[in-house]
Amino acid sequence: MDEQEKLLEECMRNVKQESFQMKRCMDKDRLMDAIKHASTILMELRTSSLTPKNYYELFMGVCAELNHLQIFMLDEFAKGNRLTELYELVQYASNIIPRLYLLVTVGVVFIKSNENSRKDIMKDLVEMCRGVQHPLRGLFLRNYLLQETKHVLPDVADAPLASSDNGETNSVLTQSGTVFDSVDFILANFAEMNKLWVRMQHQGHSRDKVRRERERQELRLLVGTNLVRLSQLESIDIEKYSKHVLPGVLEQTVSCRDAIAQEYLMECVIQVFPDEFHLETLSTLLKACSELQPGLPPSLTLSPSFPLEDIVALEVALVNLALKCYPDRTDLVDQVLQNVDVIFQKQHVDEVPGDSAVCKELAKLLKIPLDHYQDILTVLQLPNYGKILAYLNFKPRKEISLYVAHNIVDHCTIISQQEQVEALLVMLTPLIEDHASFPVDPTDEEFVEEQTVVGKLIHFLKAEELDQQYLILGIARKFFGNGGIHRVCYTLPTILFAAYDLAYSYYLSEAEDPKWSKKCQKIFQFCHQTISVLAKLELFEVSVRLFLQGALAVSRTPFENNEQVAYEYMTQAFSIYEEEISDSKLQMMCVLLVIGTLEKIECFTEENHEPLRTQCALAAAKLLKKPDQCRALVAAANVFWSGKVRGGDAELRDTKRVMDCLKKALRVASQCMDNLVKIQLYVEVVDAYSLFQLRGVDQVTDETIVQMLQKIQEELPTLDVSDESVHINKYFQNSLDQLKKTKPELPF
Amino acid sequence: MTDNNSEATRRLNIKRQTLDDAYAAPANFLEIDVINPITHGIGKKRYTDYEVRMRTNLPVFKLKDSTVRRRYSDFEWLRNELERDSKIVVPNLPGKALKKQIPLFRQDDGIYEEDFIEDRRKGLEVFVNKIAGHPLAQNERCLHMFLQDSNIDKNYIPGKIRNS
Repeated sequence: MDEQEKLLEECMRNVKQESFQMKRCMDKDRLMDAIKHASTILMELRTSSLTPKNYYELFMGVCAELNHLQIFMLDEFAKGNRLTELYELVQYASNIIPRLYLLVTVGVVFIKSNENSRKDIMKDLVEMCRGVQHPLRGLFLRNYLLQETKHVLPDVADAPLASSDNGETNSVLTQSGTVFDSVDFILANFAEMNKLWVRMQHQGHSRDKVRRERERQELRLLVGTNLVRLSQLESIDIEKYSKHVLPGVLEQTVSCRDAIAQEYLMECVIQVFPDEFHLETLSTLLKACSELQPGLPPSLTLSPSFPLEDIVALEVALVNLALKCYPDRTDLVDQVLQNVDVIFQKQHVDEVPGDSAVCKELAKLLKIPLDHYQDILTVLQLPNYGKILAYLNFKPRKEISLYVAHNIVDHCTIISQQEQVEALLVMLTPLIEDHASFPVDPTDEEFVEEQTVVGKLIHFLKAEELDQQYLILGIARKFFGNGGIHRVCYTLPTILFAAYDLAYSYYLSEAEDPKWSKKCQKIFQFCHQTISVLAKLELFEVSVRLFLQGALAVSRTPFENNEQVAYEYMTQAFSIYEEEISDSKLQMMCVLLVIGTLEKIECFTEENHEPLRTQCALAAAKLLKKPDQCRALVAAANVFWSGKVRGGDAELRDTKRVMDCLKKALRVASQCMDNLVKIQLYVEVVDAYSLFQLRGVDQVTDETIVQMLQKIQEELPTLDVSDESVHINKYFQNSLDQLKKTKPELPF
Repeated sequence: MTDNNSEATRRLNIKRQTLDDAYAAPANFLEIDVINPITHGIGKKRYTDYEVRMRTNLPVFKLKDSTVRRRYSDFEWLRNELERDSKIVVPNLPGKALKKQIPLFRQDDGIYEEDFIEDRRKGLEVFVNKIAGHPLAQNERCLHMFLQDSNIDKNYIPGKIRNS
């Protein structure tokens, strides 16, 4: 058992003993003696050695005993044994603590047995309690006063005017008081309690500050009860609240210049009074909030550490309130943000450390407008939003940025103005640019997800007018271009696709814009430069793909000179392929992509098409691995067949070159050492042969096909049984079935 | 009864406290810490001194935040000066522990034992706070010198410091 428990136990024991004596006196109807014992009980509350928690325990024990006394006195009064001088008599108690507790007890008995004395007694009690200035003892004494008067506070609106017929009622009302007397009473009590509570901060050694602050937090409810009591007065309407109640509360709150008190009391006000009241007094509240500040006078050398997080938490409550009451008044939200800014400046805060409580509250504050408006455009209209965001350090700022990005994507918010785009991208900087002290791990799942969202977001930067859209893409390109190697591969491709789309849109509206052709040229120039940036960062694969995609886009947008531009795109793709891509798998993939792209492009004249398709065949034949060569050649054959040249409506149908490719493919297949691969390729080639025969290539005869089929059939049984061989067998069977369907007359 | 009450609740008029007064920080803030004991030297020259740190907002003190190092004999000197010049009843210092100073009677480090130094530190802190908190002692030049001058000039001219 520790020291405190022992002390408390001793006090409680004394209370019990005296209480026994007091009750004996009451049984014998000896009121004065009972009061004497009550006074002895109350002496226990003079102690300075109990912690607030234990003092509270003791207080509760004493209150229970005083309650017995009160009931006894009420009974006596009801019986007609009125001791009119009792109120004066108890004031002769020698010590102030018992004297005032008894005065309250007797005062309440008087009020309860005769309402006409109410007003005077209430006023007297609240004044007399000033006699105890020791913070802890004073707080509890006033708490007793507040608790005992709970049910006797006058709660009627103003007394009738003097012109009223019934003069008597009027005078009785003035004697028993109106709700205004209750307000005065509680406000006076509140002011005193707040003073005592704030004063606790200065008691004792400064090294015990933390403990003292904790103890004050434990006691705050005592002060807050005053506000609760005010909120329980039913005849207080909005007018009385805004004229009489709130100003009194705010006056104390602002003047006390004490962080703990200000934070708690503002929260209390907002919580205990109804929202309609706040709605009416919002500007007063906001003004008061801006006046809250670190209050320790500079002359005192105690280090003032002001809990910023609590201030911010308070502002969070205010923003919520403002949004609830005036959903459309963005100026109010911005005002709150400005308040925070002012407070931070006053405290010389440049950056809020991550993981701190302030940081958490600030993040909360910043998310509210996003959640509420679900529209970044509205948030961008808050001039102070960016300022507050800038106080966060990189990590939380990035978190908010990501929140913004998700918000846009989830709600499909279109950002259509240049300035908006610019402001947004500035806000999203943590997602767009590398930060020196936070290196990026490109394989990190979170990073991938984050950049994917950013990529998606670019699609929502969309002006209604094409010229505007061009400018927006330019802005986006400028911002995202700084993203570094790990980000640009997520963002620049999106910008390119948007640009390709834009060019096509110009074409679609060519009738409206005589300069459309020039503009398209410009767009593709822009795209060319952008892809070159990627190529410079050695993102070769994606560069090849984007050039090819660009060539396709150029081809379908028939602006002036588009053939030259498409040719340039194709050759760029080719040269990156030839010079930079060394992985054989990637090479194969690129060749297939080039072939496929060329097959679809229709803007080349023979002059340009011929070298390109020849190059395709050459590139196919030059691949490293035989199987790749074989398959690429089969693919190349398609370009010679269904490729299109500008001017001519028909496909190329160059049977000679088709046959060259196919024969070469067959030869290459036969050179394969691995039987399994060889037969697989044979089946593929024979498929191609029969396809082209079907298309009308006369050089492919039934004989050739049958020969090949026989060869495959001979070789198939030589394969060892394996998953692959089963697969090839099946493949062959399918090809055969197909062949028989299309050519039932085939002699096989 | 109503009349009786207005009689019983009639009070003297008192001057209201202003808000600034109500919430003002105390004007008599004074805090002295005796901390950070360090033992210097060896053999006969060995001694322990303590950091005496004062923070105050009392106007009588020249410095609001001062730190000096003092040894036990300095506290003794202060006590003697006050005893002689001021009219206050000067509290006692923690004991001199004579027994601990005689090597024959001990196996441990005597007055340089950690526990002993800690006890003495506490005692000195109580002593100096009592003295410095006394309104009469606050006027004595010796107290100011003890608390705020880096070296004590034992040949000083005793006298009072007026609250300017």
